[in-house]
Amino acid sequence: MKIGTPKEVFDGENRVAMTPDSAKQLQKLGYECAIESGAGVKAGFADADYEAAGVEIVKTAAALWKEADVIAKVRQPNETELKRLNKNKTLISFFNPGGNEEGLELAKSKGANVIAMEMVPRISRAQKMDALSSMANIAGYRAVIEAGNNFGRFFTGQITAAGKVPPAKVLVVGAGVAGLAAIGTSTSLGAITLAFDVRPEVAEQVESMGAEFVYLDFEEDTADGSSTGGYASVQSDEFREAQLAKFRELAPDVDIVITTALIPNREAPELWTKDMVDAMKPGSVIVDLAAEKGGNCKLTVPDEKIVTDNGVTIIGYTDFPSRMAAQASTLYATNIRHMMTDLTPEKDGQIVHDMEDDVIRGATVTHQGEITFPPPPPKVQAIAAQPKKEAPKELTPEEKRAAETAAFKAQTKQQVTLLAVGAALLLGVGLVAPASFMQHFIVFVLAVFVGFQVIWGVSHSLHTPLMAVTNAISSIIILGALMQIGSGSFLVILLAALSVFMAGINIFGGFLVTRRMLAMFQKS
Amino acid sequence: MEFGFTTAAYVVAAVLFILSLGGLSGQESAKRAVWYGIVGMGLAVFATLIGPGSGLWLLSVVLIAAGGTIGYYVAQKVQMTEMPQLVAAMHSLVGLAAVFVGYNAHFELGNVMAMDQAAREGLEGFAALLAHKSSVEVNILKVELALGVWIGAVTFTGSVIAYGKLAGKVSSAATKLPGGHALNAGAAIISLLCLIWYFSSGGFLPLLILTLMALFIGYHLIMGIGGADMPVVVSMLNSYSGWAAAAIGFSLGNDLLIVVGALVGSSGAILSYIMCKAMNRSFISVILGGFGGTAGPAMEVEGEQVAIDAEGVAQALDEADSIIIIPGYGMAVAQAQQSVSELTKRLRAQGKEVRFAIHPVAGRLPGHMNVLLAEAKVPYDIVMEMDEINDDFPETDVAIVIGSNDIVNPAAQEDPNSPIAGMPVLECWKAKQVFVSKRGQGTGYSGIENPLFFKENTRMFYGDAKQSLDTLLTLIK
Repeated sequence: MKIGTPKEVFDGENRVAMTPDSAKQLQKLGYECAIESGAGVKAGFADADYEAAGVEIVKTAAALWKEADVIAKVRQPNETELKRLNKNKTLISFFNPGGNEEGLELAKSKGANVIAMEMVPRISRAQKMDALSSMANIAGYRAVIEAGNNFGRFFTGQITAAGKVPPAKVLVVGAGVAGLAAIGTSTSLGAITLAFDVRPEVAEQVESMGAEFVYLDFEEDTADGSSTGGYASVQSDEFREAQLAKFRELAPDVDIVITTALIPNREAPELWTKDMVDAMKPGSVIVDLAAEKGGNCKLTVPDEKIVTDNGVTIIGYTDFPSRMAAQASTLYATNIRHMMTDLTPEKDGQIVHDMEDDVIRGATVTHQGEITFPPPPPKVQAIAAQPKKEAPKELTPEEKRAAETAAFKAQTKQQVTLLAVGAALLLGVGLVAPASFMQHFIVFVLAVFVGFQVIWGVSHSLHTPLMAVTNAISSIIILGALMQIGSGSFLVILLAALSVFMAGINIFGGFLVTRRMLAMFQKS
Repeated sequence: MEFGFTTAAYVVAAVLFILSLGGLSGQESAKRAVWYGIVGMGLAVFATLIGPGSGLWLLSVVLIAAGGTIGYYVAQKVQMTEMPQLVAAMHSLVGLAAVFVGYNAHFELGNVMAMDQAAREGLEGFAALLAHKSSVEVNILKVELALGVWIGAVTFTGSVIAYGKLAGKVSSAATKLPGGHALNAGAAIISLLCLIWYFSSGGFLPLLILTLMALFIGYHLIMGIGGADMPVVVSMLNSYSGWAAAAIGFSLGNDLLIVVGALVGSSGAILSYIMCKAMNRSFISVILGGFGGTAGPAMEVEGEQVAIDAEGVAQALDEADSIIIIPGYGMAVAQAQQSVSELTKRLRAQGKEVRFAIHPVAGRLPGHMNVLLAEAKVPYDIVMEMDEINDDFPETDVAIVIGSNDIVNPAAQEDPNSPIAGMPVLECWKAKQVFVSKRGQGTGYSGIENPLFFKENTRMFYGDAKQSLDTLLTLIK
């Protein structure tokens, strides 16, 4: 089969979906490659380079679309291009299926298979073909460069013979791929970098890139990003208020703001309001990476750079990857090549469109005359859910009650058994022993029982005092001696007297020592 | 005086004793609890003196006062570190008293039995009680009495040996006479035979032999228990003294003695059980004396012990944010608790997190370390139990081991052939750095080599704990 890449027709698009390098790899998969004449020029790849890599140069777009079985391109195809498809052709491209119903219908009516690169699911296996991430990475980097280009000062703080230069303060809103790339670039340029994201779990990633995470004073069970495939979701109004208040506080301080907040298939949320822009210092720069979806700042004009009345530059370019066409093309072409590798399991130049495969199924938007968008959720969870820290608390009230009842029953059973055995023993003794003995024996058993009950509650650190106190109390034996001392022979009196004496030592010594010990315990 | 009053006083005293033990559940309520105990004891003695024990009461009062003076003096003078010995010594007094009281009951019994009916009517006090007993009751009395004497005698010699071991006057190693457990078993069998003999004849000789056998058992049992198990031994002897009192209470027909004896006995038993669980040791094997033989040779320890001086320790402490101190018996021996407290105070003043990790069997008494640290005014809310703190070691910068050995021995977890295998230990080696303050390269109480000292993150800070810490204090502002 033949893979063809036409020249991008979208105005200002510099990227190309095939590079000489990726063409070589595709040929190894058994494909022939073709490219429209001049398609790679803007990205720095001349026709000669392609020819050298064994790629056929096709003069016109029409001829290429006709010849190729698989068409790989970058931008969403326009109507003309889609009309060139037929049921034997596969198109791989960005497609914006959520906002491109006519395109989907057209592709369906033509019977072509369309793989939309932005629909590649975010699972580990598919990262190599995740074009959104590779483009976002470039956008994040470029955003900082653009900001620096429009910012009149250094990023690093310097103390020079000609005076002191304060470091630039950069705030990155949204720590997705683009945000993290921007953070990395900004910190490596030497700026003080702050970052914010609605998903608190990315704080660690932010800090690992060398930026400071901005925490909100807000208590809410923010949805774990893992439940939405690693993307941010819509926030509650209270949360939004807390977030805006924090930004308002930061606005006068920061020199550069880079907003990257996007929610899949929705308009970009407004995070940087007009009053925040007004509060910023003249010369500050805002780069709005969400400009294409309406912008995180409402003053943003898509594809344009404007300067507000108070001297703040707002950059609303939507073509950051295209501005670094060589790099972007290389990465995108590699993403395409990996997609082809997955589509060609036998490496024989024949596409096997396996709709059972999570990645291919997810990315396919039309297949054999059917619209297959939106795809079912992938079988593999995008990101492993965070381990539940408070699993026991998750029990429903019914389960809790059931567990309690079970524990209670077990306890009851144990106690009843013990009591039954104890009672049987007691009765057994009672059968043979005289009443006067039983009287004392019952007292004894009760006392043992009370002792057991009481001692379990004694705190660990008080075990030594407990021992001293029980030691003192055990000199109750003195009572026996006292009762005997008054009666009988000289020997009895002598022994009893000795006992009284020794017990006396113990009583006073034991209690005194206990008191000494306890007097020492004190709180800080 | 009416005996009704005495009985009422006994009930009140019994309630006070129960409250006294129960009150020990918290540091603050414990202070009140001791007073309950004191009042209860005073009430019991007073009620006895004016009631059934009124004969020769003046002599009794004088003797109590004399004993009390000695007890007061000793308790005032004793160092906190000598607490374990003192408690053990006091147990021996209770044991001996129980033996004497038992003997007395025997003599009285003999006297009363010799009298005729008319003379019996004229008797008073304890003798009168005996006089009214039927023959079955007298037989039961004999058993109770013999039991009381036997337990009392075991407690006496056991406590004396425990005292000797704790005070360092007897070797702390577990030693047994040739014959080992067979000797104990033999003595126990002879005791049983004597009991039967005494039961049938009622003579003094079997009682005497019984006592001697019990004395031997007490001696041999405790000699066979190693130093590391001493906390259990002390609380076990405590329990024994309670049972002896209860047995005597039966023979004298005194309910208060029975109640209090049972309280003390059961509390001591539970305490021993709790401690055995903490050491992962079988309760039975500890009381029957013996560490239990281990199969196979102990793991070879590799590496060498690396020493460090006070400057090195001071520097590491200066850089650390979180510190855990693990005190052991060595701190008690060196009287280093004041220096430890001062070190804690200074480190805390620098904003560092300082905590104490207390192993359930650290020291020679349960809760020994808590008492010593409390004496040195270390706040008790930074003193943690093993279970509370063991998980925190990996996040700790510096762990300081002061005079403990077996309770921080990783062999308990790593070497199945170690005599202490399976005993829960403080996992201090998981801290980033460990300093061990130790006198020399010797082994701990249980005589086992400690692989902790050879670990890569361990540094040995040799010297007497107090002197080492005082040197360290001069370097930490």
